[in-house]
Amino acid sequence: MGAVDLKVGGVVFGTILVFTLVANAIPQVQSDVPELIAFGAEVTAEELVAAGEGLFEGAGGCIACHAESAGARGPNLVTDYQGEGTIGQRCGDRIPGLDCKEYLYQSLTLPVDHLVDDYPPIMPALDRTMNPQQVWAVVAFLQSLGGEVTVTGADIPTEDAAGDAGGGLAAAGIPGVAGSDPVEIVNQECALCHLFAGGGIELGPPLDGLGARMTADEIRISILEPGAGVSEGYEELLGAMPATFGDRFTATQLESVVSYLSGLE
Amino acid sequence: MIQDRSWAGAGRWLLSAVVALAAGLLLAETLVAQAYVPPDYGADFPVIGSRAAVWIVAQVHLMFAAFVLGVPMFAVIAEAIALFGGEDRYDRLAKEFTRLLLVAYSATALLGGLFVFLLTTLYPALWSYLSEVFRISMWMYAGIFFAESATLYMYYYGWDQWKKGRAKLGHWGLGLLLNVWGTIALLIANSWLTFMMSPPGDLTPDTSPATVQFWSAFANATWMPINVHRLIANAVFGGAIVAAYAAYRFLKAKSDEERAHYDWMGYVGNMIAIGVFLVLPFAGYYLGREIYEFNQQMGVTMMGGFMSWLWIIQAFLIGVLFLAGNYYLWIGLGRIPGGERFAPYTKWMLLVLVVGVIVWATPHTMIADRAELAAMGGTFHPFLQPLGVMSAKNTAVNLMILTTFLSFLLYRRANKNPTVSWARTGTLSQGIVLLVCALVVLFYGIAGYFVPAIVRIGFSVYQVLAVLFTIIAVLVLDILIARGAESRGDIRWGRMPPRSQYALFVLVVTFTWLMGLMGFARSGIRQHWHVYEIVQDTSAYAATPALGYAAQIISASVVIFFLMLAFVFWIGGMIAKPALVPAAADAAAAEPVPGGSPGRSGSGADRGGGLEPGLEPLPGT
Repeated sequence: MGAVDLKVGGVVFGTILVFTLVANAIPQVQSDVPELIAFGAEVTAEELVAAGEGLFEGAGGCIACHAESAGARGPNLVTDYQGEGTIGQRCGDRIPGLDCKEYLYQSLTLPVDHLVDDYPPIMPALDRTMNPQQVWAVVAFLQSLGGEVTVTGADIPTEDAAGDAGGGLAAAGIPGVAGSDPVEIVNQECALCHLFAGGGIELGPPLDGLGARMTADEIRISILEPGAGVSEGYEELLGAMPATFGDRFTATQLESVVSYLSGLE
Repeated sequence: MIQDRSWAGAGRWLLSAVVALAAGLLLAETLVAQAYVPPDYGADFPVIGSRAAVWIVAQVHLMFAAFVLGVPMFAVIAEAIALFGGEDRYDRLAKEFTRLLLVAYSATALLGGLFVFLLTTLYPALWSYLSEVFRISMWMYAGIFFAESATLYMYYYGWDQWKKGRAKLGHWGLGLLLNVWGTIALLIANSWLTFMMSPPGDLTPDTSPATVQFWSAFANATWMPINVHRLIANAVFGGAIVAAYAAYRFLKAKSDEERAHYDWMGYVGNMIAIGVFLVLPFAGYYLGREIYEFNQQMGVTMMGGFMSWLWIIQAFLIGVLFLAGNYYLWIGLGRIPGGERFAPYTKWMLLVLVVGVIVWATPHTMIADRAELAAMGGTFHPFLQPLGVMSAKNTAVNLMILTTFLSFLLYRRANKNPTVSWARTGTLSQGIVLLVCALVVLFYGIAGYFVPAIVRIGFSVYQVLAVLFTIIAVLVLDILIARGAESRGDIRWGRMPPRSQYALFVLVVTFTWLMGLMGFARSGIRQHWHVYEIVQDTSAYAATPALGYAAQIISASVVIFFLMLAFVFWIGGMIAKPALVPAAADAAAAEPVPGGSPGRSGSGADRGGGLEPGLEPLPGT
C-alpha cells in the first residue's frame, strides 16, 4: 500500500468520520413507540394528564405542529392563542353545544370537521394511530392547559370492551365500537352529533322517529356512506359525518343498529 | 363363488381404501391444525442486533444494486457516443466498466441472498406476510436475474466479437437490453419497499395478505415517485463511481498518457454525476408531495417531526456536493487555455455557494419540549428565523443551481473564441437571462414572506421553472455562439493537481452517504410499523432510532461498501489489464471537448488526446 492509497483512504474515511460526527453533534431525537396505556375506572386526572403530556410532546408528535410559533402548521395549543387563552380555556367556547371535553375528543378523532380558520386540513385522525386510552389521555392533558380536567375513567372504554369491538382493528390501534346493545351503541357513538331519546347533541338530524323517515337500507347506506346523501335542512353539514363506521362496526353491530333505528317511529 | 370371492376381495379393497382415505384426511387435518406459524421474530442477531444486521446488509446491497444499475446506463451511453460519434475511447471506457460489473454483479446477488436469509430468520412473520402478497413478483424477480446475467455475459464477452457494422449495433442493443432488465428489477423491488411505506388504503390489520389485490399493492402511492427518484439517483451514483475510479487511476498513473486518459474519464464521470444530480431535487419534490398526498401525518413526521434535523444534515451534505463539484470544475479551468480569464469570478461564485449552504442548513421548525420552546421564544430561532423558512431555502438552492450551471458554462466557453458576428450580443443576452432569472428567484423568495403558505408553495414552482428555462435558453445560446468557434488551444488533459482528484473522492463518499441517509428517511417515516398502519413492529427495535445512531449504521455500511468496491476494482484489474490508452491512430482521432461533448469543434491540427509533449506539471502537482 503506497502513499496514494493512504491518502485516498484518509480522504474517504475522514469524510465519513466528519459526517458521522456532525450527525451525532445535533440534538438526538428518537421516535418512540406510543406507550400502551391501560387505565381502570379509578384512574386519576393526574395520571391521565401525565400520560397525555408524554404523548403530546413525544410519540404522538403533536408538538411538531401545535407549538407556539407564528409559522406553525396548526393552532398553538401550548400557550395563549390570539388572545383567546390557552386550549384548556377556550375549548368549551369553540362549538356551541359541545363542551370542552367533547370538542377536544372530536377534534382529535374528526379533525377535519373542526378546522380552525386559516389552517389547512392536514391533521390525521388520532384514533388511526392511538387507542382510546391514549386519545383520552391527550384530551385530559389539553384540558389541563388552563382548564379543568373532566375526563374520568368512565369516559374510557375498558380494554375488554375495546378488544371485543373490532377485533384486530383495536389491537392495531384502530378503535372499534364497544358493546352489542344497539341502544348503548347509539348513545355512545351517534348521540355525539344527533339528538336521541331526550339526550345527545343537536348537530345532525335527530334520530328519534328515524324509522318513519328512512328505510332500513337507507339508514344502512347513510351509516356506511354518509357523504352519499343528506337530510333536508342539513345540507351544509354534508361530509361532516365520519365515514369510518363501516370499518369500526362489526357486521353484527351494524345490523343491530340499523334494525333498531329503523324501528324508531 | 369365485365371483363372490371377487366381490368380497373388492369389498376389502374398498374398505381399506375408505379407511386409508379417512386416515389420510385425519392426518392431513392434523397437519393443517399443526401448520407451522412463524414466530414474529427470530433470535436476536449477535452483538449488533437484528435491526442493525438487516439494515447494514440491505444498505450495502442497495449500494451495489445502484452501482450495477447505474453503470450500465453509463456504459450504454458511452458506447453510443463511440458508435454514432466515432470516438473509440468511449468504447474502451464502456468496456472497462462493464468488466467491473461482472464482479460487482456477483457481490450484489450475494448480498441480496444474505438479506433474504436474514429477513427469513430474524423477521419471519414479516417475510411471510410480504411473500404472501408478492410471491408472483418475487418469482419474476429471480427470473429477471437469469435474463440480466445472460445479457451481461453476452454484452461483455461479445465486445470484441461484435465490434463492426451491424454486429456492433446488435451489441449496443444488448447494452440497452441490460438496462431494460435492470430497470424491471428495480421496479419490482421498489414495489416491495414502497408497499411497506404506503399500502393500499383499503387494507386493515385484519386483511389476510392472501386476499390483497396484487396490482394495488404493487403500484401503490409512492411506487412511481420512488422509481423516478432511484433511476435518476442511480445515474448520478454510476457517474460518481466512475469519476472516483478514474481519480484513483489518475493518482496511480505512471505515464502522462495514462494520466491524461484518466483525467478525461474523471471529468466525464463527474459531469454526468453533477449534471444529472441537478435534476434530483425535482424528483425528490415529487416524492415528498406524494408522501403528503398518501398520509399527512407521514409527511409531517418526515419534514417537521422527529426527522426535522435530518434535512439539516442533508443540506450540509448537498452543500459539500455543490462545493466539491464546483471546486473540481474551477481547478479544471487551469488545464484549459483561456480558462484563466474566468478565474477572478470563482471567488464570487464561492461566496454565493457558501451563503446558500448556510441558508439552506438553517433549521426550520424544531421539535422541542415546552421548556426549550420557551427558552427559544417559539419553534424558530429569534435571529435565524427568516432564513429557516422554505422561501429562503428555495431561493438559496435555486441560486446554487444557477451558480453551478454558470461554472459549467465558463468551463465550456474557456478555450473557445467565438467567431459568429453576434457573439458579443449573444453573450450579453446570456448574462441578462441569468441576471433576470436570479432576480425572479429572489423576488419570489422575498414575496413568499408576505403571502399565506398555500400561495408561497406555488412560488417555488415559478422559481424552479425560471431556473429550468434559463438553463435551457442559455445553453442553447451557448451552443449557437460556439458554432465555428476558434480554439484557444487543446485542453491539457492530465494537467490537474492531485487535490482535484481528492475532490472526486469527497463527491463519491458524499453521494454514497447521502443515499444511506435518504434510505433512513424513507424507511424511518414508517416509525414503529413494518407495513405502515398494517403490520406493527413489536420487536425490541420498534422505536425509530435517532440520527446519531443512524449515522453510525450508515457510515458502517459506506465503509463496507467501499472496501468491497475496492476489492471489486482490484479483481476487475486482474481479469484484464485495461487497454485504455489509445493507440497512436486512435489518439489522432480522439478529441476531448469541454462539457463531455463528443463534438468536433477544433481544427484537425488541434486534435489529440494526452498531454502535450514538454508540458510542465501545474504548481502543486
